[in-house]
Amino acid sequence: MTILEGPAGAPRKPVIRQPGLLSQMWTARADYLYVLPAIVVMLIVIAYPVYYTIDLSFFKTPPGLQLRDKIFVGTENYTAILSSEVFWKVTLNTVIWTVASTLIAFVLGYASALALHRDFAGRAVLRAILIIPWVISAVAASYIWKWMYHSDFGIIGAVMVQLGLVDRQPNFIDNVHTVLPSLIVVNIWREFPFAMIMIMAGLQTVPEQLLRAARVDGASAWQRFWHVTFPYLSGVSTVTILLLAVANFNSFIVPWITTSGGPSNASHIWITHIYELAFGRQRWGVAAAYSVLLFIIVMSLGYFYVRALSSNERKEDSP
Amino acid sequence: MTSTAQTSAPRGARRIDGWRWAGRIFLAFMLLYTALPMVWMLLTSIKSGFAAMQFPPQWWPSEPTLASYQKLLDPQNSVGQDFLRFFWNSLFVSTVTTILAVAVAVPAAYAFSRFRFPGRKFLFFAVLLRNMFPAVIFLVPLFILMRWLGLVNTHGSLILTYLTFGLPLAIWLLKGFYDNIPFQLEQAARIDGATRFQAFLYIVMPLSVPGIIATAIYSFIGAWNEYIYAATFLTKNEQLTLPVGIQRFFSENTTDFPGLMAASFMMSVPVVVLFLLLQKYFVRALTEGAVKH
Repeated sequence: MTILEGPAGAPRKPVIRQPGLLSQMWTARADYLYVLPAIVVMLIVIAYPVYYTIDLSFFKTPPGLQLRDKIFVGTENYTAILSSEVFWKVTLNTVIWTVASTLIAFVLGYASALALHRDFAGRAVLRAILIIPWVISAVAASYIWKWMYHSDFGIIGAVMVQLGLVDRQPNFIDNVHTVLPSLIVVNIWREFPFAMIMIMAGLQTVPEQLLRAARVDGASAWQRFWHVTFPYLSGVSTVTILLLAVANFNSFIVPWITTSGGPSNASHIWITHIYELAFGRQRWGVAAAYSVLLFIIVMSLGYFYVRALSSNERKEDSP
Repeated sequence: MTSTAQTSAPRGARRIDGWRWAGRIFLAFMLLYTALPMVWMLLTSIKSGFAAMQFPPQWWPSEPTLASYQKLLDPQNSVGQDFLRFFWNSLFVSTVTTILAVAVAVPAAYAFSRFRFPGRKFLFFAVLLRNMFPAVIFLVPLFILMRWLGLVNTHGSLILTYLTFGLPLAIWLLKGFYDNIPFQLEQAARIDGATRFQAFLYIVMPLSVPGIIATAIYSFIGAWNEYIYAATFLTKNEQLTLPVGIQRFFSENTTDFPGLMAASFMMSVPVVVLFLLLQKYFVRALTEGAVKH
């Protein structure tokens, strides 16, 4: 309509009454039917649990989930958490775990995608093999690595002994100093394929002409990467890093199956700690308060995620 | 111009030979990192319990045996009975979850992609944000909800719960596919007299089959590999799914590494086969939302 109406630069203000929100919603009422089933399911299983957790975090609870006997204690659970020593230990672990896993998985995935971008014999097979760790069950992966780290018969230690790197079989996951790095290696094993897939798809969208033009201008391979490819993929990279960060922050299976947070909390991260508080020690109120704190952190990560996604969309919309 | 580009291309290719070699060495390292654990799992699974516990370890077993697999797959003994039941439970829960997730997600994703109703953005991001919350936050409240619904110790509790993470993912993936189906196709159908629903059913649905396949694989794999809810909601042995079942098994037989590796391998087979067969859809779906073509 507006296109037909005439020359740009002579804006005649169109007098269109913006319909109110309610009438807009009424006009679109049929549209909601499509999303209704999804929204109902989400409300039951998301809104209710979130409300419930916030509520529970202000109560002292008896063990056994006999929750009628809970006692209102205000913010006592929160102050108890923030003043406990374990909290800071676990938080430090979580930061190391999340940052190291995310960055290394991203870099390895990025580099794999670049190396796989060029065609060569066996590329498809290699790509499939590299993705498999991401597909198989985390429980299976945890057991495989636990077995490889075994303090007596583990293959990794045995190879290190045979190569003369160490004198005797190192104890990877029963040692407070090595447990966290060892588990991060497992986690990266499972997650770098995700970054690889995302970047591989991104690489396909980099216009060939740009790279060719850079080459004509005498840019080296590194310069072409750093000044063309890398900035071009910044949107995908941001989304990938955020998704990895959230997944790592939320990881549970790998640390829980391999060490259950031990030895002496050295591999406890937030999630495993909350799980242990709730289902191990039945301190539901404290666990709920932890969950609320976690919720706030994840929400702020989520804010950046949504912003990154919508800025990608905006880029797409404007020609 | 084009001739310059053509003549300079081979020179450029020669100059980056160093990078190509760096890439190859890097890929060799990644292959080792990725494949070694899987190879070691397979090699351990065909050893006897005695052969697995040798120092230094044997790479190739001197007497390879399929005993662990026979034990797990034999319905006559109790280990085999349990394993086959866990396998069946996993299959059942994952299949039903997948069907429900796709059925609910298809209309929702379509609406998010096509319609412009107020609150669309907000609802979509609310759906997306669900995937950012860890399962632990939902464990206690969902457990209480399930108890209230009388679903504790049933597979229904798992299916309902798996929808909480399967659904947002499914909607997100499918929306990516719908976004890439040209709206003009539906408009053309509408002009030819089709209703909006008919256009959806006869034009959009057939075109989105790859997206539906991909979404189904993701839902299936997610449900198949899920551990934490299954470990919390199910207590009866005969209802366990594979990840929890294997964990219980291992906590009772802490030294049967060949058995554990054989079980891990068999638990991985269905999802890896699905992935290898439908790789194309799988990879495309994940990136459709984040990278637009």
